[in-house]
Amino acid sequence: MSDHFSGPRALADPAADMSDVFAFPSPEGTKDLVMAMNVFSKAGPTALFSDAVIYRFRVRPVTVAATGSRAAFAVGSDEVSFDCLFDVPIDSKDDERAVQQGRCNFSTGQVTTFQVNDEGGGEGAGVRVFAGQRSDPFFLDVRMVEKTVASRKLAFKKVGSDTLYGTNVLSIVLKVDWPKVLRGGPLFAVVCETLAAGKRPVRIERLGRPEIKNVTLSWKQFDQTNRNLEIRDLYNSEDAFHVSSDYIEAYRARFNANLAFFDTLDGKVDWPLDAQGNHPLTNLLLADFLVVDASKEFRETSYFEIEQAMLKDRAHVTPGGRWLNEDLMDFLFTLYVNAGNGPRINDGVDAPIAWSSKVFPYLAPPNPPKAKPL
Amino acid sequence: MTNVHPMPTPSAGWPQTTDGSIAARNLDAQIEGLQADATSGYSTAEARLRLIDLLVLRGRVLGRIADYRGAEQLANRFVRKTGSAESFLGRARIHALFHRFPAALDDLNIAQALSIDRTTAEEERAAIFQGLGRYDEALALRQQAVARCASFESLAALAGLYAERGEIETAQQLHVESQLRYRGVSPFPLALLDFQFGQMWIHKGECKKAQNLLQLAVQRLPGYVPAQGHLAEVEAEIGDAEHAVARLYPLAMSSDDPDYVSQLARILRDLGRTEESQHWCRLAAEIYSSLLVEYPEAFADHAAEFWLGPGANPHKALELAQINFATRKTPRSHALLSRALGANETLRSGIHGTDGL
Repeated sequence: MSDHFSGPRALADPAADMSDVFAFPSPEGTKDLVMAMNVFSKAGPTALFSDAVIYRFRVRPVTVAATGSRAAFAVGSDEVSFDCLFDVPIDSKDDERAVQQGRCNFSTGQVTTFQVNDEGGGEGAGVRVFAGQRSDPFFLDVRMVEKTVASRKLAFKKVGSDTLYGTNVLSIVLKVDWPKVLRGGPLFAVVCETLAAGKRPVRIERLGRPEIKNVTLSWKQFDQTNRNLEIRDLYNSEDAFHVSSDYIEAYRARFNANLAFFDTLDGKVDWPLDAQGNHPLTNLLLADFLVVDASKEFRETSYFEIEQAMLKDRAHVTPGGRWLNEDLMDFLFTLYVNAGNGPRINDGVDAPIAWSSKVFPYLAPPNPPKAKPL
Repeated sequence: MTNVHPMPTPSAGWPQTTDGSIAARNLDAQIEGLQADATSGYSTAEARLRLIDLLVLRGRVLGRIADYRGAEQLANRFVRKTGSAESFLGRARIHALFHRFPAALDDLNIAQALSIDRTTAEEERAAIFQGLGRYDEALALRQQAVARCASFESLAALAGLYAERGEIETAQQLHVESQLRYRGVSPFPLALLDFQFGQMWIHKGECKKAQNLLQLAVQRLPGYVPAQGHLAEVEAEIGDAEHAVARLYPLAMSSDDPDYVSQLARILRDLGRTEESQHWCRLAAEIYSSLLVEYPEAFADHAAEFWLGPGANPHKALELAQINFATRKTPRSHALLSRALGANETLRSGIHGTDGL
């Protein structure tokens, strides 16, 4: 029985699988930029970070290069990155006693060490680091998103069912004294990556803007150019700041097709395509990193405000970036479907199980396990 | 499959994968997280299918039949509750796991008729054909998969098929090539592949080669129970029976798969530790008998091996070898049947010989 085995299935390591990235000015009123990366969606209590993965935060200064219909960012080359690495716990077989140590290596040469799940985190050289299990701050009704796409009609219920209710993730939070540690600013582009460690690290995944790969890019059926292409693996392997010319047209075609589909859901066109069939949001979303203005005051709802300001040829007023508990799905569907020209689209899930805190490490403590293990 | 490079070894740190103890904890953590959703009704079809796959993976790695049963219950419930394409795909995988191949093909056909894409269906079908011993059909599908996308998964699956067909040279080349294409950090796929090739060398009687690969699998995943079990088998074969016994004891005590109990009984018998052997023998007979009631197709081959060996019941072994051969027409099932027939023949001639005296 145990011998019967006819080939390995693709088994991704959950500890390398990113679910969300956040960037916001410190809500504590200090001159700090906070960045967070979540991996291992729906993690059970025994979850640990991988010792074979580099968890990387990359930050570059960015400026607004163009506004209006050709809105675009110009990304600087002066990058500062933070590589978080984790050890194998000495008692890793013992659920109770497994204590994992981590370190954060800055590209500028400094190192900060920390212990996983220590809420105080580690601190040094202008950076405070936390890593550990937390409540997933995101909330959405995945089944109704799927139903919306399958039925080609908005399928959200008045009271939805939060797919992530009561679930936990592994989080890494960096609080960075940006004038000291980063270069340029105050407008920054932030992207996170997981890489297979080794002499030549290989990118496993990259993440910047929320719900690009799943909600925006995953549907193949609307894309007449690459109908059979599972585009996400290719997309993940790209450098967010230098997308290769080999596949950029494939990504563009997928964005154009899928964004055009979402625009049909209210029966009117809010995002007319240009003569080449490009959707007005495509170029901005292809710049797949969070753009955050670290000089602005913290706001809970500011995702994409900088980009919207650029499209309307005005100055932005919020920090942009992304706060932990922003109702992202409502925002995204409203943006994609009616461009804000109609009523706000509500997916029926308006809050996470636990609100994040305004104090480091911000994400709420992990939820208790819901079921006994098999 | 053309340019074969010298394979870097894990001892040289290539490819670096997540430490086995972390990976095992994280597998539990994944299962627990998804199980909580499944019981509270928040689960998507994709998440339920994933949970089934993860339970099977844990069963495979820890040698835990309880996990296979858990996956089976989940798959049945999934079909009853949703009747979705994913649910039939999940149940097809479980049927194949328990060697109920015709039922697996039926479920796969339903899944495909509902909405599972052709590529996924063909990969599953190839695995079922391979299980059935319909190697030519499996080979055609596996080769198509490689032609579509020469990934770690498609090359490793093709390598495994060649290994099972006994085409060693091609299998080895593909084994190396698939490893070179591995881009993940999970240790499971590489350990499972090394284990599979370790088994290939055992069947070829190449104990040292088998030992090397099984040791690599155990280095990646120290808790990999079937790899530990086969290492013990190899150790006994090369004359290190004491080591083998020491390795097998904890497996026999912790695993609900009677394979380790059976092996321990055999090695202890060969060492002349008859009383101890008999204890484990009785236990193995009891567990196999119980499992054969529920899963005759799945356990017929190993149970036949047991009754041909320490169980010392060639007649029962022949019955089981016949069930196994009716289930899957592989070279191994044929060889097992031949051995069982031979053992019964020997027994009969012994009896007749005694009668004649």
